Amino acid sequence: MTPASAPHVRPAAPLSRHAPATDIALSCHGIERSFGGLRALKGVDLEVRQGQIFGLVGPNGSGKTTMVNVMTGFYPPNAGRVELFGADITRMAPHKVARCGVARTFQNLALFKGMSVLDNVLLGRHVHMRPSALASLFYWVWAEREELAHRRVVEEIIDFMQLQDIRDEPVEAIPMGLQKRVELARALVAQPRFLILDEPMAGMNQEEKEYIARFILDARDERDVTIFIIEHHMDVVTAICDEVVVLCYGEVIARGDPATAIAQPQVVKAYLGERAAARHAGTAS
Amino acid sequence: MFYRRAGILHTRYQDERQLWPFAFDRGLVATVLAILLVAPFAFDRIYLVTYLLPWIIWSSAALGLNLLMGGAGQVHLGYGAVMGIGAYASVHLLRAGIPLELALLAGGLASAAIGSLFGAAALRVKGLYLAMATLAMQYIVDFIISHFSIISGGSQATLQVPPVRFLGVSLASDAAAYYFALLICVGIVLFMLNVRRTSFGRALAAVREKDYAAAVIGVDSFRFKLVAFFVSSFVGGMVGCVMAVSYYRAVSPDQFHLDLSIQLVAMVIVGGLGSVLGSFFGAALILFAPIVLNHAVAFGADTFGVGISADLRAHLPLMLYGAMIVGFLLWEPLGLAKIYNNARNYFMVWPLRHNR
Repeated sequence: MTPASAPHVRPAAPLSRHAPATDIALSCHGIERSFGGLRALKGVDLEVRQGQIFGLVGPNGSGKTTMVNVMTGFYPPNAGRVELFGADITRMAPHKVARCGVARTFQNLALFKGMSVLDNVLLGRHVHMRPSALASLFYWVWAEREELAHRRVVEEIIDFMQLQDIRDEPVEAIPMGLQKRVELARALVAQPRFLILDEPMAGMNQEEKEYIARFILDARDERDVTIFIIEHHMDVVTAICDEVVVLCYGEVIARGDPATAIAQPQVVKAYLGERAAARHAGTAS
Repeated sequence: MFYRRAGILHTRYQDERQLWPFAFDRGLVATVLAILLVAPFAFDRIYLVTYLLPWIIWSSAALGLNLLMGGAGQVHLGYGAVMGIGAYASVHLLRAGIPLELALLAGGLASAAIGSLFGAAALRVKGLYLAMATLAMQYIVDFIISHFSIISGGSQATLQVPPVRFLGVSLASDAAAYYFALLICVGIVLFMLNVRRTSFGRALAAVREKDYAAAVIGVDSFRFKLVAFFVSSFVGGMVGCVMAVSYYRAVSPDQFHLDLSIQLVAMVIVGGLGSVLGSFFGAALILFAPIVLNHAVAFGADTFGVGISADLRAHLPLMLYGAMIVGFLLWEPLGLAKIYNNARNYFMVWPLRHNR
């Protein structure tokens, strides 16, 4: 896809407006992870500054999702260190990482079937609630007030994500584009400090992509959240990301400003192959 | 037509989350509760003691199991043993002179403690393996109860429940025993209904549906599975106590064998996993279908003068019973509650066809 078809979103705001450049939200040092004989990540380093929209790109199988799974505790790394706002979260269980203010969406949706959109989004409030069986038994005196307080927060996100008319639908009954939006709402309602989006625009048409891009920018600007995004649509990456890292076979092959990074010859080669890259270089010069 | 959605305009969140938003549903619940309350005066004693009372008790037990199976998605083939622990614990306390109010809670706690101890071990495995692990619990508890005479009072012994009072009322009469069981049942029903609209029930459902997605929103899967085991076993222990006190009025090891566990699992699955109403439907079907079919076959053979042999007369109801369960599950795998819901949804907009 060419930059000409980029969604009509405003260019990323300058970083300095959000946070001083020294504020590191997440840093990974020398992350190694292998599955059997396959070294999926070969010493990856990256640093995400607070208030950034940080892109992680790379061809299929380059280790992007593995990287995210290491960050969120699903795959403990074989070596390396993950720090979130200065605290070490390496090898922490996923549910504890969530309590540190990390929310995430999945590449293939991970909504809870058989529940309504509203209940799915309410589940996003779990880290802020105190679920207990006794509270359920004495609902009227014990749980109702808490439920209602969290319902207000949820309704605010439902308005923000424009899900008002589907809040009572079962999640499996709504279209894919909306399901992705519900999952993003569930992640945002936890009021995370760090939000990880794994291909939020996969399988979407242009209009849906523009919607999601708008939600991501608004989330960063209005809700004070640092965003880490894996995405294949290069038009979106160049339009909304402040910084990118390009992975290929588990190694970082380029990093920095999105437009410059993805134009580098080794990145074009990783995506298109040797011959096509040579042709690309020929047309570019 | 019956269920009037028109004109229901909620202006507060608590109105929207109430248990029965439709006036017709509220009327239905009130009617059923009123019938259950006047039952001891309206019906013959034999119907009260042999039909209504076991239905109430077995439904309560099915509700407890449903929290674990339907709510948290964990199979339990040893629920009869869980109830047995509660029954024996509370009956021993009653015989020692402890009041029923405390013995009931202590029975629940004993079941919950032992049940979640087994649960903690069994929860390291999933699915069919969990089923086998809980089956092992059933056999271990059965063995311990019948072989330790300090618990069972001897291998063939039956322990009588002494005369007891609950909140100052003697449970000697059938009506009082029935009201005691009904009170516990209503409590369990309200608990189960509230679980579904609170964060506790949602967390259990998250664990049931996708454990990795549950982890990513901060739900500790293992902890919630264990809590589900604990609470479900607590309910089971209390119902075991109710069963001993107001139905059998005694305890013996054979009351809590594997057949009770299987019966309860069947009630939950046939009734509808996760459905409160379904537990009542399931209990009714599993308990009463054999009796009704027996009478129907005998009546049919007599009226139409078909000379069927005594063997066939004994076995035909069982065959029909099995066919009925298979038939219901083929018709609607989500259980009797789903069949009821389909009918309800149909009448929601009748005479029109579509809901929206």
